[in-house]
Amino acid sequence: MSDKKLSRRDFMKMAGTVASGVVLAGCAKATEAPVASEAPPATQAPAPTAVPTKGPASGNVVVMHSIQQGELTQDMVTQFQAKYPVITIELVEVDLVRFFSMYAAGNPPDLVRVQAPSVPQYLARKMLYDLTPYFNASTVLKPNDLAPANMYYQATDPLHVGSGNIYGMCKDWSPDFTLFEYKKAFEDKNIPLPSTTEPMTYQKIYDLGMQLAAFDGDRITMFGFDTANGGAWTDRIWMNILAETGDFLYSEDYSKIVLSGSEKTQKVIQYFYDLVKNKLCAAGAIVPSPNSQGDDFDKGLVAQLQYGYWFSAMAETDVTTGQVLFIPAPTWTGVRRDPTMTATGMIMSAATKVPDAAWQVFQWYNGEEPAEARASSGWGVPALISWYPKMPNETPFQQQVQTVLKGELDLNSSPLQFNPYIGESTVSNAYMLYLEQAIAGSISFEEMLKNIEFDVNTAIDDGKAAIG
Amino acid sequence: MSTAESKVSGKGTLTRSQRRRRNFYFFISPWLIGFILLTIVPLIFGFLISLTNYNGLNLFNLDFMGIKNYARAFQDPMVRFTFSRTLIWTGLNLPIWLILSLFLAILVNQKVHGIGIFRTVFYLPSIIPAVGLVWTWKVLLEKNYGLLNAMISVFRPGTAIGWLTDQAMYGVTAMAVWSGLGAGMIIFLAGMQNIPDELIEAAKIDGASTSRIFWYVILPMLTPVIFFQLILGLISALQMLTIPWLATTDGVIAVPPRGIHLYMIYIYEQIFSTQRFGYGMAILWLLIIIVFFLTYLIFRTQKSWVYSEVEG
Repeated sequence: MSDKKLSRRDFMKMAGTVASGVVLAGCAKATEAPVASEAPPATQAPAPTAVPTKGPASGNVVVMHSIQQGELTQDMVTQFQAKYPVITIELVEVDLVRFFSMYAAGNPPDLVRVQAPSVPQYLARKMLYDLTPYFNASTVLKPNDLAPANMYYQATDPLHVGSGNIYGMCKDWSPDFTLFEYKKAFEDKNIPLPSTTEPMTYQKIYDLGMQLAAFDGDRITMFGFDTANGGAWTDRIWMNILAETGDFLYSEDYSKIVLSGSEKTQKVIQYFYDLVKNKLCAAGAIVPSPNSQGDDFDKGLVAQLQYGYWFSAMAETDVTTGQVLFIPAPTWTGVRRDPTMTATGMIMSAATKVPDAAWQVFQWYNGEEPAEARASSGWGVPALISWYPKMPNETPFQQQVQTVLKGELDLNSSPLQFNPYIGESTVSNAYMLYLEQAIAGSISFEEMLKNIEFDVNTAIDDGKAAIG
Repeated sequence: MSTAESKVSGKGTLTRSQRRRRNFYFFISPWLIGFILLTIVPLIFGFLISLTNYNGLNLFNLDFMGIKNYARAFQDPMVRFTFSRTLIWTGLNLPIWLILSLFLAILVNQKVHGIGIFRTVFYLPSIIPAVGLVWTWKVLLEKNYGLLNAMISVFRPGTAIGWLTDQAMYGVTAMAVWSGLGAGMIIFLAGMQNIPDELIEAAKIDGASTSRIFWYVILPMLTPVIFFQLILGLISALQMLTIPWLATTDGVIAVPPRGIHLYMIYIYEQIFSTQRFGYGMAILWLLIIIVFFLTYLIFRTQKSWVYSEVEG
């Protein structure tokens, strides 16, 4: 036996080796995880999952949800456990990075709060549990009672979302292209209010925005026409406008985004470019606002705001009470469409080990007490058609909103087609990146389009390669 | 140490050197374990990821890319652009932070009544969490409703300077420097208080003015501290992410103004917005190599300007 002592240097070398071993061992273990199977091609439907078992479900269900925003709270969990004592719920705050980490560790949450743009990507990765058998067997969540926005969670394959197997449902939804008009801004400029029955064209809104916008020197004191999330979801509005004429932001197989090659798309983007150029709307760092567009509206700083029905719950403040008019979604070509662009909801992970218990939680959250409370809160149209009458309809403003909303609910005929190969902010981030340069004049509008195309198409190529 | 000392003196009894070695490993083990698990392991894991097309969801279906991600970085104009902005950021921040920290240290090194209060007040910004700090500064620097523009508007009505947009390099520099001043000041203060009084007294007896004492006695004696601060400040500036990110994005739109689009922000975007974990890790490793190289260069200059009592 050697009597050579372990020097500190040797120890450090050994520690490095051990560390490498830990990493490699971690990788090896991960490959044995239940979701380790190779993902199917994006056009292939995920394999059907198990049918519900009979008898009481039990187990611990990990739910990744928006706890801090109060969408699912510990108090609600306590109520659930009083009702279903054999099931425990472990709450995890929704966080994409944490979700990736849990997924990579082979132990994803059983139920996850997601939004519509993520669904095709997760489908392509075979990450979603097919809930169709559960829905078919449920007396609470009946497929024919699902509101149209739930089509974002129904698909035959990742490239064809809108109908087919059911992989989740929205917690509530809104036709998201409606408009909130600040009456005082119109009165101050002696401009007549728009119709509450006939939709405006986007061009008309733009013209009104130019008249309604107000400035004090370089300061903006009234935004003429703000859109959802200040540009972050602009591509969703493009998609909706293009869908009026059956056009599409991507090639048919989603392998390319088509901007510079489509005159129609160019015109749509030019419209939103002009909005920013003329400072009619907030747009990230280009036309900054310290608040969200909703907060700005509540402070009387926005003349026209394109937000969904959900905003009606907070549109009237000390500043705006009696001054808000809810009007129909505008059109580009005269064809009316008003789908939701978010459809925030819940899916079950394909890797769940407790599907029956997870379904019980899913059904409770989406069809029992929490869902009923949401339905009557006015923060969204209920996800179940039978609960539509629960929406608040007491104050004059709520009644005016409901009158307009009735006409919009049927305009949710087909979903926006989100690309399964890229993240939900890939297009909007590329747009905002190059929009700043285009507005500053360092690149042309055409160069901006080409740069966006290059970035997005590269991301699509990467996404396709990652799926395999 | 003699050979006899290092040998085992009896069965079950440790020699002095063995006891020292055992104690050494015992006392450093908490740090060492943390360092291995929280630094070495992630570094190695990050490097392995950089050789793949990992996107957060395909860990079980990875393609080995070799050095393709690294090669791609050299073709990526945003890598060049964001790195150039980072160099400008570093060139602006580091000298301002060093000079102001030293200036504050000189101020609070005075022997006057109540100086402890000033030291505490000047140090306070360093203990404010980045989120709180950024939101406080946003109230000051916001374009349309910020206090600074409101004050300027008294003289020039309607002023709306984009301190956090078109002028973000300067606005965010102010935030970052302000937040780091306290820590910088404390280290310089410690360095100044280590300068022997005899040296300063001798200079005074020789008739040296205050400024000459500063330039020819205090500053040379502080060069080891300046060297230390320079290295730390350089690394910190090259890796800056939190303050510019929080100050210029709003949680919904994750694209900062072009002027402050720093390299670390680009890495963050690649990993978390575009889901290119592999590529993001590759450009992160490039940054690590650059940081090592620049640190090495500064170390090479050490002998020519850093005072040392021991001849190297």
